[in-house]
Amino acid sequence: MNNTAHTAHPTGYAAGVSVTAHALHVPGADGTTAGAASALFTSVAPEPACGPDEAHTVLGRKGLLYKEDSTRLALCAVHRAFGLPPGKLREPLPGAADTAVVVSSNFGNVRTVRDIVAEMRAGSGHDVSPLNGPNASSNVIASTLAIRYGFTGPNLMVCGGATSGLDAVRLGALLLRAGRARRVVVVGVEPDDEVARGLAALRPGGAGLRSAAACVVLEPEAEGPRLGSVRHHARPGAPAEAGAPAALRLAAPGTADISGGVDLTDHVGETYGAVGVLQLAVAAAWLSSGERSGGALITCGDDEDGYASVRLDPAGDRVPAGAC
Amino acid sequence: MDVALTGADLVTCLGDADATFAALRKGVDGSEPLRFYDTGRMGVTRGYHVTDDEGDDKDEPPLRAGRWLARCVAGAVRQAGIDPARERVSVIVGTGLRELRAVERWTLDGVPVRRRDLHFDAAVRAVLPDVAEVITVSNACSASGHALALAQDMLAAGEADAVVAAGCDAMSESMLTMIGRVADAPTAVLQPFQEGRAGVLLGEGAVAVVLQPRTDGGARPLATVLGTGLSCDAHHETAPDAGGIVAAMRDAHSRAGVRPRDIGLVLAHGTGTALNDPTEAAALREVFDGTAPGPLVTGVKGAIGHTSGSAALMSLLIAVESMRTGSVPATVGLSEPIPEAAGLRLVIGEPADCDARVAQVNAFGFGGVNAVSIIRVDR
Repeated sequence: MNNTAHTAHPTGYAAGVSVTAHALHVPGADGTTAGAASALFTSVAPEPACGPDEAHTVLGRKGLLYKEDSTRLALCAVHRAFGLPPGKLREPLPGAADTAVVVSSNFGNVRTVRDIVAEMRAGSGHDVSPLNGPNASSNVIASTLAIRYGFTGPNLMVCGGATSGLDAVRLGALLLRAGRARRVVVVGVEPDDEVARGLAALRPGGAGLRSAAACVVLEPEAEGPRLGSVRHHARPGAPAEAGAPAALRLAAPGTADISGGVDLTDHVGETYGAVGVLQLAVAAAWLSSGERSGGALITCGDDEDGYASVRLDPAGDRVPAGAC
Repeated sequence: MDVALTGADLVTCLGDADATFAALRKGVDGSEPLRFYDTGRMGVTRGYHVTDDEGDDKDEPPLRAGRWLARCVAGAVRQAGIDPARERVSVIVGTGLRELRAVERWTLDGVPVRRRDLHFDAAVRAVLPDVAEVITVSNACSASGHALALAQDMLAAGEADAVVAAGCDAMSESMLTMIGRVADAPTAVLQPFQEGRAGVLLGEGAVAVVLQPRTDGGARPLATVLGTGLSCDAHHETAPDAGGIVAAMRDAHSRAGVRPRDIGLVLAHGTGTALNDPTEAAALREVFDGTAPGPLVTGVKGAIGHTSGSAALMSLLIAVESMRTGSVPATVGLSEPIPEAAGLRLVIGEPADCDARVAQVNAFGFGGVNAVSIIRVDR
């Protein structure tokens, strides 16, 4: 095949991916309790976060009609990650055309799915608002972020269970390495409506569900903590790694006693598909909040879906060979 | 990086791969009355059901999408001859509706479900326990096209030795309800690019392909995947946008290293809706302007329905079959094209002879998510 058209997409893949912005938006998690998780979380997320019904205080009133809780929280997290003033943007963000979106959520639209069917069965399909139609498709969160901020790069919705958050991070880094975007907005979000809570409780030993959103922005060869490669493994402890041991370890929910480290769900609660992104945002905030002499190792997952881990190292540190 | 397509399998309302290809050649419309729902309330009466192996036609087995997915993934891996215990094999599943049907039945009918069954890790690992990872990408009606793009990217980045890109979807009551909600009257027939078409009908099924780095001297692959372009319209939640679609096509051509005139066949998205077909036709005319006579264009949704997350890879396998056999199936349901399609060489009525070596496969989804793939078949 002729290769002349490849110039727009260099075959050499960008090696380094950095986290250049991050935000947490976890309603009601600003209180402090005893324990390492609470101390860590509140040290990096001092600002209170509004609930989905108050999202207009961050986003402005326009465009929120029939937006689900998950979409509202995701929008708030992205708005905060870019440091935007309250209200709707008048034009796309600078660089939006080369920006991709990857969102992780498992329960984002489950209440809408139930409501649509319940309304139809109680009367007819004409009783369902057509404005609720887009919410029947699980990718509504990712596409709504694109529409609001003008992100025309690849747009992915990951619904992959307990490792979904780090799967989204992994695909975001892949989009950069493949030259498909110059910047990737990665979001993890779950709602805590009654249908979502009911589904969360189905897991043996399931422990509730908390609404939460987090955002990390990934860019190649940029300033900011350096992202390693996401690796999947069967047990909660991350595989042995080359290089310096991590100074901060964030454990998968419920596994801190096995694998060591801080379990953020001790403070935040179970956030399922949001966990991996939430952990990464916390690690990025921690790394950028002072001189750190080592990186962070984060793990999410559970016994059913397996586990995924990734390292985040201070800007300027070489990522250990074998970790990327 | 070009990658080899070394294994494939699919299931549609028309049956397995061979049965589907044979029925497509005959121009069969696989639609039938819907089996499992209160169609009077929904405003949708017809669709393209996969016939389940167990129970009668009124008895809806649980987790149908995952069952078909498992069958196709296993079949594709068997054909490719790869061993996930010895090689790093990743699986990327593209789906529009996940197993949301199970959520509907659990919350409203009390049918039990497990939390882990909403995504497809368990379904895939039941037949391939040793794969490195199973990633579920829920990207509406272009989901398996996105899975294909990511699979090729993973191979190019050296992150896997082989990747299974797959798609699966079973109808959900909520999506059927929304389709009925926006139709004036129940759609009787799905007619891509047809003047006076009435709208879309849902299909079902699953599809899987195995991708591996292309090696010289190995067995000839079923096809070579040259590249997939991705874009997001960032324009409207449900309405397509020609600008975003054209961007995905140009990205695909650039990544594949082809010019529009190299492409001899297009498998269109062609949903039969008021908005998709003229928008897609306009985008094709723009991109293939100056390549007269231009590629043959056909669509399969009149035969197998809109299979949602599976649609992109199903169209891709039908493009492979068309180039291998030299015969392109006609667009079922099409007799009188819309004016916007003037100048496009739509295949109407009878299969068309085709000596194309390079084909383009279009898939566009809710939210303006577009995936356009370019493949080559050597004869």
